[in-house]
Amino acid sequence: MISAVLHRLVLSVPVLFGVLLFGFLLVQIVPGDPAMVVAGPTATADVVAAIREEMGLDQPVLVQFWSYLQRMAVGDLGRSMISNKSVTSELGAALWPTLELMIGSMVWSVPVGVAMGTLAAVVRGSLIDRAIMALSVAGVSLPIFFISLMAIQFLGVKWQIFPFIGRPGPWYTAEGFMALFLPALSLGSILIGPVARMTRSSVLEVLKLDHVRTARAKGLSETRVILAHGLRNALIPVVTLIGLQVGYLLGGAVVTETIFSWPGLGRLAVGAIMSSDFTVAQGTIMIFALGFITVNLIVDILYSLLDPRVRK
Amino acid sequence: MSVTSTNVPPAPQTSGSIEGDVSQEFTAPARAHWLRRLLKDRAAFLALLTLALVILGAIFAPVLATHDPASNSRSVMTPPAWMARGNAEHWLGTDGQGRDIFSRLLYGARLTLLIGFAAVGLGGFFGSLLGLLSAFNERIDPWIMRTMDVLLSFPAILLALALVAVMGQGIVPIVIALGISSIPDCARVARGIAIGVMKQEFIEAGRAVGLSNLQLFNRYLVRNAISSIMIFISLRFGQTILIGATLSFLGLGARPPASELGMMASQGRDFLLFAPHIAVIPSVVIFIIVLSANVAGDALRDVLDPRLQA
Repeated sequence: MISAVLHRLVLSVPVLFGVLLFGFLLVQIVPGDPAMVVAGPTATADVVAAIREEMGLDQPVLVQFWSYLQRMAVGDLGRSMISNKSVTSELGAALWPTLELMIGSMVWSVPVGVAMGTLAAVVRGSLIDRAIMALSVAGVSLPIFFISLMAIQFLGVKWQIFPFIGRPGPWYTAEGFMALFLPALSLGSILIGPVARMTRSSVLEVLKLDHVRTARAKGLSETRVILAHGLRNALIPVVTLIGLQVGYLLGGAVVTETIFSWPGLGRLAVGAIMSSDFTVAQGTIMIFALGFITVNLIVDILYSLLDPRVRK
Repeated sequence: MSVTSTNVPPAPQTSGSIEGDVSQEFTAPARAHWLRRLLKDRAAFLALLTLALVILGAIFAPVLATHDPASNSRSVMTPPAWMARGNAEHWLGTDGQGRDIFSRLLYGARLTLLIGFAAVGLGGFFGSLLGLLSAFNERIDPWIMRTMDVLLSFPAILLALALVAVMGQGIVPIVIALGISSIPDCARVARGIAIGVMKQEFIEAGRAVGLSNLQLFNRYLVRNAISSIMIFISLRFGQTILIGATLSFLGLGARPPASELGMMASQGRDFLLFAPHIAVIPSVVIFIIVLSANVAGDALRDVLDPRLQA
């Protein structure tokens, strides 16, 4: 068990190194001189040279890479080229709103998706099954910006039930909770389709197994058979899928945050790219990649905890 | 006799004739069967028809467009013809700058589809090349596949953000990013198919008659694997289009004055209150394209690979 976890941890080292190298190269291959961007268009050559020296840009590439790794190890990501605030503090401020949004969207969409998938599997071949499957295909084909715009149009503007601009406070405050509603609704909706589909095929698979037949033969009620013996075992692949969908959800978060002016990492990334703030762009992209790797690591470990067959 | 014949349930009406006829699976005409079975699936037929119409509309945009997609008219935010205040001049209405939405849709679909085709083509080409090489040479196989694993841990949108950060906003970085992010999937599928081909006897025979590796790879492996690989790669089309349009919506992809469906939806954001059709119409067109591609893709996969059927 522990060796499986260790093995998995070791496997993520090259990926982590890849991400670090990627982040370093990102700033290296940017066209133009980062020092010029920092100095601004009116700076004299002396000022640019001084900034270049301060940023270490006059050093050989390998030396730069080494000092970059050292800075990364202590969480120093440099300063924003626009606001001059430390990138780490900007990321820190944006991290929680993004987590809040992602958790908020999964809290409702995963149970709904699992319920829909289970129902579809139980009534396999019926009209309800077909309707649920059609809905899930439609769900993965809908652009998330369209869902967000419609949520704003109806729930925000027309019926004025929820606010749709910004984040007045954390989720446990009344205003914060209301403000989280529409972004979480929009973002979660893209997850329902994949979760419902996966749950359906997984439940169908499990219901064919012997222990389910035994449970039926024992005279357990059909609800009990499906919930206790079917769904419980069927959820393992669903957990993996949710892990894989985090990347997809991150992409969705970039869109939702931009549309709802949600002060998270996605909006920070898009804003930084639009304003050529390379250090902030680098920081957000790296934290996205790290988050994605971490979640997959956790999912893999969870998977081996849930499924005794995977344990070594 | 008559008693048994009434009791025996009628033979199941299968849509295709492949079932139970094993010999046909190994002959070339089997390919004709999947096409026929695919077209018998009503949803898939409708999806393919829709896709064909959209593609034709995009190709013949200059002929079909009723107006210049970039020229502004005096009627701003005109609703579609069937709504109050709408007129027949602009039958899908005009946008915030008075441009004809129908004409912009045709040109927009052109760009959106082009981004999708280019990205899937790019990713498909390099992905299948890597997958084929992986299957062909066992020594490089682990290296290629581990690299694919690393690549797989970068979500498409992340790659796109990174490339746009480096190259600036535009269509090219978006196509490259979407292409790169489809490489690992394509490589895995291609490798799987190619390994199947490598096990066939004619590969052995080719080796025996002294063909060079290049000839063996090119003539025997690639030619026998390529059609299956291409079909599986086409399954990615829907999602690729969706991400591409989303990136353009964010302002990272296509730039004005070009028209692209995601960008059109984004431009309609500001008029959502007074003229929702400006954002809704292009979004619905994206939805229809992606939905058709997904439905056709699912049906195709079911027909070709019964093991994957849910």
